[in-house]
Amino acid sequence: MADLYVKPGNKERGWNDPPQFSYGLQTQCGGPKRPPLTRRVPAPPDGAPQANSAPPAVPAASPPKPVGLPPLALCSPALRPAAVKQAADLAEEECDVNVDDVLDPLNETLGMCRNARQKQVCDDIGRRLAVFREMWLQGKLSAPVRKRMNILVQELQRRHWDLADEIHRSLMVDHVNEVSQWMVGIKRLIAEARNLSSGDMDQAAEEVL
Amino acid sequence: MATYLEFIQQNEERDGVRFSWNVWPSSRLEATRMVVPLACLMTPLKERLDLPPVQYEPVLCSRPTCKAVLNPLCQVDYRAKLWACNFCFQRNQFPPAYAGISEVNQPAELMPQFSTIEYIVQRGPQTPLIFLYVVDTCLEEEDLQALKESLQMSLSLLPADAFVGLITFGRMVQVHELSCEGISKSYVFRGTKDLTAKQIQEMLGLTRLVVPVQQGRPPQSPEQPVISSRFLQPVHKIDMNLTDLLGELQRDPWPVTQGKRPLRSTGVALSIAVGLLEGTFPNTGARVMLFTGGPPTQGPGMVVGDELKTPIRSWHDIEKDNARFMKKATKHYETLANRTAANGHCIDIYACALDQTGLLEMKCCANLTGGHMVMGDSFNTSLFKQTFQRVFSKDINGEFRMAFGATLEVKTSRELKIAGAIGPCVSLNAKGPCVSENELGTGGTCQWKICSLDPSSTLGIYFEVVNQHNAPIPQGGRGAVQFVTQYQHSSTQKRIRVTTIARNWADAQSQLQHIEAAFDQEAAAVLMARLGVYRAESEEGPDVLRWLDRQLIRLCQKFGQYNKDDPNSFRLSDSFSLYPQFMFHLRRSPFLQVFNNSPDESSYYRHHFARQDLTQSLIMIQPILYSYSFSGPPEPVLLDSSSILADRILLMDTFFQIVIYLGETIAQWQKAGYQDMPEYENFKHLLQAPLDDAQEILQTRFPMPRYVNTEHGSSQARFLLSKVNPSQTHNNLYAWGQELGSPILTDDVSLQVFMDHLKKLAVSSAS
Repeated sequence: MADLYVKPGNKERGWNDPPQFSYGLQTQCGGPKRPPLTRRVPAPPDGAPQANSAPPAVPAASPPKPVGLPPLALCSPALRPAAVKQAADLAEEECDVNVDDVLDPLNETLGMCRNARQKQVCDDIGRRLAVFREMWLQGKLSAPVRKRMNILVQELQRRHWDLADEIHRSLMVDHVNEVSQWMVGIKRLIAEARNLSSGDMDQAAEEVL
Repeated sequence: MATYLEFIQQNEERDGVRFSWNVWPSSRLEATRMVVPLACLMTPLKERLDLPPVQYEPVLCSRPTCKAVLNPLCQVDYRAKLWACNFCFQRNQFPPAYAGISEVNQPAELMPQFSTIEYIVQRGPQTPLIFLYVVDTCLEEEDLQALKESLQMSLSLLPADAFVGLITFGRMVQVHELSCEGISKSYVFRGTKDLTAKQIQEMLGLTRLVVPVQQGRPPQSPEQPVISSRFLQPVHKIDMNLTDLLGELQRDPWPVTQGKRPLRSTGVALSIAVGLLEGTFPNTGARVMLFTGGPPTQGPGMVVGDELKTPIRSWHDIEKDNARFMKKATKHYETLANRTAANGHCIDIYACALDQTGLLEMKCCANLTGGHMVMGDSFNTSLFKQTFQRVFSKDINGEFRMAFGATLEVKTSRELKIAGAIGPCVSLNAKGPCVSENELGTGGTCQWKICSLDPSSTLGIYFEVVNQHNAPIPQGGRGAVQFVTQYQHSSTQKRIRVTTIARNWADAQSQLQHIEAAFDQEAAAVLMARLGVYRAESEEGPDVLRWLDRQLIRLCQKFGQYNKDDPNSFRLSDSFSLYPQFMFHLRRSPFLQVFNNSPDESSYYRHHFARQDLTQSLIMIQPILYSYSFSGPPEPVLLDSSSILADRILLMDTFFQIVIYLGETIAQWQKAGYQDMPEYENFKHLLQAPLDDAQEILQTRFPMPRYVNTEHGSSQARFLLSKVNPSQTHNNLYAWGQELGSPILTDDVSLQVFMDHLKKLAVSSAS
């Protein structure tokens, strides 16, 4: 659901800054795929490394000698390729979603809330939706944000509150500089819609009884 | 041998406990001769996804001085419905609810596989978690922007019903009222004047409320005035306004003239935060989260003056007794830390700056309360951002990996007493029959308070065998320890986790080989290291090193096999074989050596060392080194200069740094671009493999480590070169001509020399 990618850290500001993992990668379940690297080799009893403890696989080259070629061989199964996208691949993705396709359902949901919720809260949400629309139209939102907002709205329409909330969270973590101003409105909208629907259910249940 | 290793591992997985000795010497005298104390590393909330909590109260021993919890070690008379306490031998009636029990119908807590069990208890009102942000505004624009975004982001990660508050500070301290209405108000305090808790509460208008100190109170109960709501509000109510408020935060408006530091009132800001929570939510899970970009420069708790020409104190200044503000500042923060701990709250410090920020003076705030300490260069780094995100990480059940307000109580069978604990805790001063007079770490109590903890928080707990030599324990006797941890779960439930363990006693004169075989050298190394670091915080460095050396020599004298005065005959059995090298690397570690580290860095490293679990602590003592080559899967290699080979890639994990080092040939191949040629795809994979492994470490580690990608001859290779054992140096020339390893330019003693001396001293008849 959420994007899986790694971005390089901010080397300008942080000395040896580690890479940045997307929300999806950080919350992936299942724990580490490989056994953790925590084994140690005991030092020989006298503390001196044995000369033949690590025979080089290929003749090691020392500076004066010309460097040999890397061995031509099939890929060792122990060294498997990466499964994670690097950030660079991501920018090329395009998204041709129309802003109104995303915004209309949000406004519709807001309309439903207006009957039941405080005016001020709804106005606040409305204001943020307007900011969202503005930024979209001005091209200030990147393709991944637009794409994931589209998915978020679909989940909202399907009343998958948890999923919609999770997408909101992933957007907040991965793209906070783009979304921080208005995303909180979407967050609140999801919460209000969820409350409203459970209220409806209660009401419906009461009517049945 | 494998059986003991398995036993140790199983026990750690099930109970979160690792003992230095797994067969216990049966008398006080013999125990002191073992050199390494009987002690354990205890991870109270070790993640046990296979352990569903039970939904009832634990059954307690009826003896008022005991109150141990019913456990699988208790003798049970199913017919008479009686159980005998395995700690005090009191016979107890089962409560009425247990009327139906029998040999085939046992409650969970009697089954051997439930030596660790967790109870959910319905006790007192449930209170929400509280997060109070204390934000420094004397930051560069870029840093402030990044921090604001991180804080806004965190509102999406907090539990939905959590309460949140905001204090900002620079020259002044502002306590922000949070309301749903459009107008934002704040209370402004001068940053130079220390205020008592009472004054703060009066000024904030919190005094109308008389808060019972003994119990948390429900925030929404109708009879309580809604005092707290002005400063601390449920995040789901005020998230929109708080997002705007954070978005509008400006840099501290007071002008900073050239040659000056900004005036930063960290001491007063923290004092107000502590006072605010003290007055509104005592004994409820609460985090004060301090974000600061520089040292406190005014008011109580100031660490350095505002003149830039006067640098912040260094180790040199401290040694020369030339650190003007240190003692007073430390005292200020210690007072705050103790108050915070008494209220059951915790303080996190996120300090991001290139220079020191005063962690040395402020460290007790995090150390005594179980709070986090994070040190970075800037708030606009992945190191800070991701570390901060991980504070709010969840387990696979979707539960936050944080717990609050824990008390850990330890009960022992009568042959044992408790000497103390070392970890992110404070004493609760609970005296009792199982408390020893001799202290190791924080002693004189059998209960400690851990205001904030996560699944990796680990305490070292030290014991004393008190059984007298002339009162032998019957053959087959076992000693037992019970750990009872009461805490507030992140779901706000009150929970109690109980772990009961037992180990065999052995007579050290006739059965020394049993005791020896059951030695856990990894646990012992970490437990001794914690003692060493605890001492280093209060004593001079060289004394601690000498103490550690003496202990190591004594241990080798006791357990080595050798002929007197013949160092070549010296041997250690498998269960001790790694211990000397752990001590060798510990002596060189930043936990005991302050050379090349600032006082803040030392405080930071020691903070993390005193709370991590065994695996992580051991990585800190002796970093892990893996070697990647064409010849097969990555393999662990000696942390030794001989492992630095031209055709290898090395991956080193020091906990605080992940280093990838390309050997000379590998680096040349990479420069030649072989990895891009299809016929050398295996080379491409070889280059990728350590990156993938590093990524896996980076994805889970807290705090996020620094990441060094380097190669032979590069300046950053120093991170590797400074950690490996210098077996080849410029001094022992024999290595130069050989093509093995990489000589290190150092005068440091190598492991070989260290071992030679150790053997000589161990076998010497003079000592």
